[in-house]
Amino acid sequence: MNILILLIIVAALAAIQLFVTRWLPLNRLAWMAIWWVAVYAAFAYGINPPLPSSIVVLFMAIVTLALVAYLSADSEELASAMRAITAFMVERRFRVALLAVLVALPLLAALSVYTDLSKPPQPPTSSRTIHPPPPVSISFKGKTIPLSTANNPYRELQHSDEAAFAQHVENGRRIYFENCFYCHGDNMQGAGMFAHGYDPIPANFNDPTTIAMLQESYLFWRIAKGAPGLPSEATPWSSAMPAWENFLTEEEIWDVILFLYEFTGYEPRAQGMPH
Amino acid sequence: MKHALYIFGFTILVSAFYWYVSLWVPQKRTEPPEDIAISADLSTAEMVAIGEEIVAGKGTCLTCHTMGESGAALRFPDLGNIGAIAATRVEGQGDVTYLAESMYDPNAYVLPGFVAGMPAVARPPVALTDDEILTVIAYLQSLGGTPTVTMATELEWQGQSIGAADAAPVAVGGNRDAETLFTSYLCNTCHNLDGTPGAGPSLEGLGTRLTKAEIYESILDPDATITEGFAPGVMGTMLTATGFREQVSAQELQSLVDYLAGL
Amino acid sequence: MTCFCRTKAVRALLVGLVASAAVVLLCEPALAAPQEADPDYRALPFISSRVVMWIIAELHLMFAAFVLAVPMFALVLEFIGYKTGDKRFDQLAYDFTKLLSVSFSFTATLGALLTFGLIVLYPALTKYLVKVFSWTFLPYVLLFFFEAVFLYAYYYGWGKFSPRVHLFLGLMLNIVGTAIMFIANAWLTFMNTPSGVDELGNLTSLWDAINNYIWMPINIHRLIANMAFGGAIGAAYGAYKFLGARTMEEKAHYDWMGYTGNFIAICALLPLPFAGYWLGVEIYAYDQSLGITLMGGTFSWLFIIQAVLIGNLFLAANYYLWLSMSRIAGAERYRRFIKYLLGVITLCFIVWATPHSLVATVEEARAMGGSHHPILNVLGVMSAKNTAVNLLILTTYVSFLLYRRANKDATVSWARTGNLVQFGIFAVVVIFVVFLGVYGYFVDAQTRIGLSQPQVFSVLFAMVAVTVIDLFLFRGARKRGEIDWGRIPARAQYALFFLAITFAWLMGLMGYVRAGMRQHWHVYGVIRDTSVDAFTPTLGFAGLVVSITVIIFFLFIAVVFFLSGLSSRKDWAERTKGTRRWFRRAKQEQSDSTLSVEAS
Repeated sequence: MNILILLIIVAALAAIQLFVTRWLPLNRLAWMAIWWVAVYAAFAYGINPPLPSSIVVLFMAIVTLALVAYLSADSEELASAMRAITAFMVERRFRVALLAVLVALPLLAALSVYTDLSKPPQPPTSSRTIHPPPPVSISFKGKTIPLSTANNPYRELQHSDEAAFAQHVENGRRIYFENCFYCHGDNMQGAGMFAHGYDPIPANFNDPTTIAMLQESYLFWRIAKGAPGLPSEATPWSSAMPAWENFLTEEEIWDVILFLYEFTGYEPRAQGMPH
Repeated sequence: MKHALYIFGFTILVSAFYWYVSLWVPQKRTEPPEDIAISADLSTAEMVAIGEEIVAGKGTCLTCHTMGESGAALRFPDLGNIGAIAATRVEGQGDVTYLAESMYDPNAYVLPGFVAGMPAVARPPVALTDDEILTVIAYLQSLGGTPTVTMATELEWQGQSIGAADAAPVAVGGNRDAETLFTSYLCNTCHNLDGTPGAGPSLEGLGTRLTKAEIYESILDPDATITEGFAPGVMGTMLTATGFREQVSAQELQSLVDYLAGL
Repeated sequence: MTCFCRTKAVRALLVGLVASAAVVLLCEPALAAPQEADPDYRALPFISSRVVMWIIAELHLMFAAFVLAVPMFALVLEFIGYKTGDKRFDQLAYDFTKLLSVSFSFTATLGALLTFGLIVLYPALTKYLVKVFSWTFLPYVLLFFFEAVFLYAYYYGWGKFSPRVHLFLGLMLNIVGTAIMFIANAWLTFMNTPSGVDELGNLTSLWDAINNYIWMPINIHRLIANMAFGGAIGAAYGAYKFLGARTMEEKAHYDWMGYTGNFIAICALLPLPFAGYWLGVEIYAYDQSLGITLMGGTFSWLFIIQAVLIGNLFLAANYYLWLSMSRIAGAERYRRFIKYLLGVITLCFIVWATPHSLVATVEEARAMGGSHHPILNVLGVMSAKNTAVNLLILTTYVSFLLYRRANKDATVSWARTGNLVQFGIFAVVVIFVVFLGVYGYFVDAQTRIGLSQPQVFSVLFAMVAVTVIDLFLFRGARKRGEIDWGRIPARAQYALFFLAITFAWLMGLMGYVRAGMRQHWHVYGVIRDTSVDAFTPTLGFAGLVVSITVIIFFLFIAVVFFLSGLSSRKDWAERTKGTRRWFRRAKQEQSDSTLSVEAS
């Protein structure tokens, strides 16, 4: 609800009732018009978030019907309204106003046609899921890897055997620059030399909403299965990521994951933390 | 006369107005479900794809179930992550068995908090075939899990479904000649029609001795009434051995009984 | 005149017999051996056979509804006339009955057309239905025969029998007519919720097939809806005659007829939602997915159209009452309430027509944060809509109450207290209904569904209690003037037409959803629709077909009105006396025999 606008509308109605009618008596037709505008303003601007236009049209159609019924429910009021309309159409003093209305009506129609037709193209309403939920387990070259529990087997080396860990990271660096960097770029910003040919563009690993908030097993799934392994909710704009299980070994994938985190300085999300 | 014309014009105007109202709402034409050709050598990925199509189309699952949505009208459980949790629902039931049971016999287990009401999808009006149900299982497993089901997976409920094709208008009334049925199910090896007893009693003039209901009974439960001089159990064994019990359809049975009653 | 009547009766009987013969013919294929060459469907050139059958069936249904409804209230009106001795009621009942004979013939003709259409265009389905229902055709034909006998005895015997005998004829007419509808309903409800057959469609129990899940709900729903529809068409006839009336006396009579017809229609409309509710419950009980297809899928938008139609019905009914006040002296006092009543009606109408899921562009959806609007979402659910309907009913009742007391001033000593009590009842009930509506948001679905009953009963209680108080309150009231029948603007008569058209359209729409919810099935779950028309069309297309059906129906009704008005016309010879010369010359040239034919 947009209280302010609703208050303004009520205040305006009250002001017309209290002040304007003193020196300008309004007949029912005029009141109808005022009410129509007031209700329209309330529906179109008084509610937050705004109502869809289709709903406003429906509501205003009902309100219009009701107002017409009200006007014609009283024979005298209807007659006075008809007299006013007739007067407006035939009397000389309204000539300019009548002309203005006659010009404005087709213009308004044209305007509505124009706005209808000049709407920019709209994307489909259903949006693509960027981080679809992973399967419980995947099969990697005949071996089943449970994604919900799998950890990077070389992560523990970080504390126990730093030399071995550095070797794995170094191996990851080699793999990254042999395979990944063409798209994900030398800074891991998703701006490699091929990146501009793709929609969606390759992931930017420096972005804190990518690998920083994912578990390593999730990365393993994405690297191993690539775009072909994406579930349907991640479509229709499937990424161009290949399924690397056909080119890399399990160890190589875990190594490159180590390198990604090492290079960007992020820590992987721990297993078991809520997604 | 003038009024009649006005009124007629008014009728057209009001009808046109209501037509306009009906054009104002979203326009969607619902096509009847198409039968998707399912071959025995589908890959898992193909099964998932077909299963997804069936779930959205012929299976009409999405009328009641949602797929990974929360907040929408949840009449039946959401299936968004069913592949991951199917195995945990019923103690001792694997995910394939659980999913199969939920489709063949949906009310055997109802998730707490939901009301039983899902129709068995192997029966009309949904009437999925056994193969189609396998593809649906593959698709459901793929939601958060990895499909393990193949076209060769055998389920205990298979062979009971009545496909829509059987129920189509063409199938109403028997099609196969009852006399052919009589010989193809090897009834004639035991039963003569000329009054001489064989391994079983002669069926000559059967319609004058037994009502249709009795004939049904003697076929479906042969030992309920035994003609004097014949051993019980023989016909039951034979019916199983000839495959009659597995193969005969309700309408074949009906035409067979009609034929026998006319002897 | 008698000669003419007899020929008309014979003609109508013949038509009835043709229809019956068609039904008998239907049985034939069931007895004969099945022919393998029979196609499942036959097509018509240029037009889809489904649309043709759709229109014919709907027209048949509309006429049947009218023919079944009119005897019901004609009998009641005649009875009132008999008890009170007020000749006007008797005359009104006769005026309604006049419409019957032609409508009856039309109904039978359309029924025959429907039967032939089914045999020719849908042979496989027809064969199956005949197989299941063959034993119901004989009583149907017999009842049809009795219907004709009672109907014509009732119509032509008006004033010719003792009142009791005539009332008895009317009662029999109603009983037979209702029985006919019950049988036909069995065939049709079987196609929605088949019972009594096994999974291959073989009949196991005819009674179960007849008494399927929705047979009784549909019977009751149709009985009530027929009343509403018949009343609306009767009112339209009154309006038509009013507009063409020349004398004040005629105007007064037909104004009263229109008012009575409208009154019947609205009274029957009020319990209709509850009958519909029962029908819905039974559909859910039969098959939940069938129910959800009906209420939740594509058809959910159909119920928005329905809301628009019913909202219009309430609006027009109130509008007519307000205009009616102009014929009562003293009604000016109540005019100022109209705008508040209208405000409530508009508000309820808006709530009722609010869809649950919205049509929105992407930008609008983003602004709403999804496909559901936070405020509209609240209005789009059952709790809000039930509340809106109950308040609509209550508002309409208030309009009627104001109309009733327009020319009266209570003279009883407790007038002030009585008014306060009435107002108190209204206030309490409105608060209670709104409270239950709001409370519905905070409880689970099962409890929420249960809340609709206290809402309904409190509204019914308010209406009954206030009416009873009102009866005593205005006993011996001082009258400001008589009701000046006939003093009403022509707009009011168009409001009656609007009501009749809206009723007809509503009937067409609900007929469509009754048939359409089977989707690609002829007999749900048993016989599949394998024709090219198996798809469920868009609502826009359905709306077009319904509109065309309604227009055709009113063309037919125009013929009925015209033919019914013929008997009160002056004879041709008399009417044309003293007109232009060539007319006179032509008259002289007529032979006597031609003349008598023309006159009829």
